[in-house]
Order: sequence, then structure tokens, then C-alpha cells
Amino acid sequence: MAAIGAVVVSLHVDAAVSRGGFTLEVNVHVAPGEVLAVLGPNGAGKSTLLRAIAGLIGIDRGEIRLFEHVLDAPGRNIFLAPESRGVGVMFQDHRLFPHLRVVDNVAFGPRARGVPRGQARAEARVWLDRLGLTRLAERAPRRLSGGQAQRVALARALAAAPSALLLDEPLAALDVQTRAEVQGELREHLAEFEGPTLLVTHDPVEAIVLASTVAVIENGTVVQQGTPAEISSRPVTSYVAKLVGMNLYRGTAQAGTVQLDGGGVVTAVEAPDGAVLVAIRPSAFTVHDAAPRASSARIGWSGTLRSLAPIGDRVRLSVDAERPVLVDVTPAAVAALRLAPGAPVWLTAKATDVAAYPDVAR
Amino acid sequence: MSRRPRGDERGGTPPLLVPPAAVGAALLVVPALALVVRAPWSRLGPIYGEYRFWDALRISIETSLEVTALSLLFGTPLAWILARAHFPGKAVLRAAVTLPLVLPPVVGGIALFYALGQHGIVGQYLGWQIPFTQFGIVLAGTFVSMPFLVVTVEGAFRSADRGLEEAAATLGASRWRVFAHVTVPSIAPSLAAGSVLCWARAIGEYGATSIFGGNIAGVTLTMPVLVARVFQVSGDPEGATALSLPLMAVAIVVLVALRDKWLRSAPSS
Repeated sequence: MAAIGAVVVSLHVDAAVSRGGFTLEVNVHVAPGEVLAVLGPNGAGKSTLLRAIAGLIGIDRGEIRLFEHVLDAPGRNIFLAPESRGVGVMFQDHRLFPHLRVVDNVAFGPRARGVPRGQARAEARVWLDRLGLTRLAERAPRRLSGGQAQRVALARALAAAPSALLLDEPLAALDVQTRAEVQGELREHLAEFEGPTLLVTHDPVEAIVLASTVAVIENGTVVQQGTPAEISSRPVTSYVAKLVGMNLYRGTAQAGTVQLDGGGVVTAVEAPDGAVLVAIRPSAFTVHDAAPRASSARIGWSGTLRSLAPIGDRVRLSVDAERPVLVDVTPAAVAALRLAPGAPVWLTAKATDVAAYPDVAR
Repeated sequence: MSRRPRGDERGGTPPLLVPPAAVGAALLVVPALALVVRAPWSRLGPIYGEYRFWDALRISIETSLEVTALSLLFGTPLAWILARAHFPGKAVLRAAVTLPLVLPPVVGGIALFYALGQHGIVGQYLGWQIPFTQFGIVLAGTFVSMPFLVVTVEGAFRSADRGLEEAAATLGASRWRVFAHVTVPSIAPSLAAGSVLCWARAIGEYGATSIFGGNIAGVTLTMPVLVARVFQVSGDPEGATALSLPLMAVAIVVLVALRDKWLRSAPSS
């Protein structure tokens, strides 16, 4: 049976995999043309998920299918070998065949499909052209830079005409500069791919830049799924909040006032009554070197500055207030306020900058 | 004061290694050197004419190459099975496969008789004669030489990069295609090394060949068997020495050439 080929299908994963006392349970769907990023810490089972979809390991419960075409369903004793799935993989360590030139690496998929050598090479060259790699065609993989190898790996995966595409930390092995370049190109090429794409990564930037949907995986389960904007503005666990750099607190809301767990009150417009999560952007805070006089800000906390770290064109402050708070300020503000570790600081924020939303976990 | 390292030379040789290495080299080189020194250089022509040396050399080269081909053909799949397959009795099979390495070759020759001779446990059902034929000495050579290839290649299959095989499978390659187009090329240096070892063992083979193949001039009389006969039967040590020189020359040329070409590249793959 031929792989499903160019038919556009969606990917459905509702599966559990046990690996040495650790169980991964995932229920995700990826529509054609959608890029889903599975974001999680190392050891969260991301690679296990990817290997299960590719058919490199079997799942223990549930099923994996491409639209109606079942790839793995232990309950019905169905397991399709990786070569029969039509699921392409771009591996973190590119895994180019060292004994084949770039063009023959890319022609490998078509050759495996039974395309004659000359025609397979022609197809490979079309893909190399499309990805701007024409001049690398005759190179041996060991003579490629990391970024080039990763681009060739993408060309190779696409040339095999997969129904779905999986990417395993595609940028993790690259240096910072190359990463930025490849990231842009990858985004473009993924946008052109008509099938579903699933990307696993531990890097929130990679997830947010490349994906249309993000599923955050923690301790083997998906804790949050949504658009990058939703994930980054309304994180639901402290892990996600930390990933996207948000301040996240739990509390109980009543009539627009949130009583935070552990003491303190914030005013949040539109806070639904009941258990809520409160998210505040680090840049929403204003820092003062003395207790502010009466102002319109509805949050006023005081604490001690613990540390400063530059991120991009800002400086991120860690403040020990009644609760830990991350605050972003400009380097100019740091200089003007003479901020240094140990300095007492006062923080204010407006109620409109506070997002409060139901805490579904409670 | 340390010597400045040259090129990519890292970590010099610990001085303690040099004396034992020198002794080891001497043990291997001095006897060969003695053979060259004591060879009857002035009588080579007449000796080579007297003992039908060209026939024997031709048979040795032909049969050793056939042994290498047979070993590659059957030994490579066997090495794969030993490296990757799971089945009961695998440990026993692995031990049996390496048995010819420790068995005295003469015993190997006798064993082959019991197996493939006219009254052998398999030979009695075969309609044709195997002992005392050229096919017989190829089988005898394969028996003693193939383990070298199997052991070398099995290790390579075991440590081959599974990641490449996985990548090939996700590109739609069948198991056979993965084996033939990814795994085998990736262990090419080990296949070459195993083949060279196998060939080297085959061209020097005496024991099993002499028992199972006999010494029919022009058919089964190989160089090692000829040398032994000249030494023992004709009582001509000078002749034996003279005859061993071309064998040595062929072996050294081949080993030096192949070592430079393939064996060195093995660790980097």
C-alpha cells in the first residue's frame, strides 16, 4: 500500500505511552495547514510523543490516526510501520545520511517510493531550489554547517511527500544567529505545507514564532492548549507562566476584587467570581524608589529587589514582595532609580493591566 | 620539557608503552625478516620452475577471493542476525560461529569430512563430491575465515547509528532498503576490514585445506599446502622458504594498500 501521499488530512492523537514508570497521556488534534507546538520541559515526554506518531515506538492505549486512517491502535491491534505512515520527521540532529550527497539525501524519499533515480534527483533539485539550497546539492553532509544541514533535513522530509510533518526541536542544535535565520525560513516553509505539522520544543520563543497553536505539556499531560497569544497572556500553571515570562497568582474573586492566596488584594476588571488566576505582565509594573503618594494605580506592593538581569533591550527585576514579582524596566530607569540588589522598591500597576480568568484546575 | 606537538597530534605516547610495543613488533617482524634474509635468492628461478609454483599461487589467490565473497554473502546476514535479532539460543549460535577461531584447523578439516564427505552426515545425501575439489577448499577456507568477518561486522551492526535507520524509515524506506542503502554503507569500513581479515586468513590457510582438499596439483594444491609439502615431504627447507616469498609479497602489498584506503577511515565513520 502506498503512503497516503498528497491527500490533505488532519492528525489526531489520543494516546497514552508508558516509558519506565512515566506515562504520557496526550489528546491533540492538528488540522491541515495548522502548526501545533508541543511545548514542555526536557523529560516531559515530548520526544516520546513524536516518536509514537512517527511509528518509532508503539503506544500503549488510545489511537493515532491521520483523518480516518489509523496508524496505531493497540486496542484493535493495528500498528503501521514508520515507512507506511507518510509521516515525515525533521530530527534535531538532522540525521542526514553521511555517505550520500545532499541531492541524494533529498532524493531518498522519492527513491523509497519507487521513483527512478533520475526523476528522483530531479524532484530533489526542485525541493533544493525551493528552499534556496541549490548550490549545496553536490556537497557531502559533513561539509555542511549546522544551519545548512537542518535546511537540507527539512527539504529531505518534504521531498518524501509526507501527509503530516513532525519537527523535533528543529532549532535547538543551532547557534543563536543561525537560529534566527532558520526560524524565519522554517516559518515560511511550514506555512506552505498543506498537511498538519507538529513541533516539539522546550523553547517558548520557538513555539510562539513557528506555531499557530501551542499545547503545553507538563508531567506527561497537556496542561494548556491555545493560540500563542492566549498561552502567553493567560498562562494556567506556574510552569507556563515562567515559560512565557508572566507573573501568575492564584486567588478568589468577588465583584472585581481578587483576594490573593497568601494575602493581598488586587482589583481586576472583569474578574469572574470564584477561583481565578491573575496574570500580570512584567512590563505592566511601575517601579518607585519611595512609597508612591495616592495614585490611580489599583495595585501597590512593596518589597526588596533581589536581582537584575538584562533581557533584550530591557532589564528584568526579581522583586521579593509579599509574593515574588517579575518586573521589566528600561536600563534608563535602572540608572535613574539607582536600582541594585537589596534596594527597597515600591511597585504599582493599573487594574486594566491585570488579567483575571477562571482557574479551571480548582 | 615537553616536545611541541605537531599538526593534530594530541597527547604524546606515554614512554612506558614504547618498550613492550617494540618487543611486540619484533616478535612479529623478526621471523618474517629472517625468512627474507635466509631465502636462497640465487636459486629462486629453478625452484619456482621445479614446484609448479604458478599454479599453486593462482589457486591460492582465486580460492581466497572466493572465500571472501562467500563470507560476505553469508556472513553479513549472519552478523546482522547476531547483532539485531532476538531469538532463543542466540548465545549458543554466537559461540558456535566463533568456534572455528579456536578450533585447530586440522580438526576443522576432519569435521568438514564428517559433515560433507561421501559418508558425512550431510554429504551422504548430496549427489556430488566435495572433498578434494576446488569447491571443497573454498568451503574449508570459508569455515576457518568467515568468523573473522562475522565478528567484525557484527560489532559494526551493533554500534551502527540507529538514528539514521529511523530517519530512513520515516522517509518511507522498507526494512530491506534501510539495510541495503543506509546500514550497509554506514558500516562499509568495517565490512572492508572484516573482508581483509577474512581474506588474509584464507590465503594463509593450511590445516583444514590440506585435510579436506588434499594436494592435487593444479586443482587443490594451494601455496601453503605446497610450502608444507616441499618442507616435509621433499625435505627442502630452502625451497619452502623460496616459495613462501611470493605469498608474503602478495599479502603485504594487499594489506598495506587496503589499510591505507579503508581501515584508517573506520573510526571516523
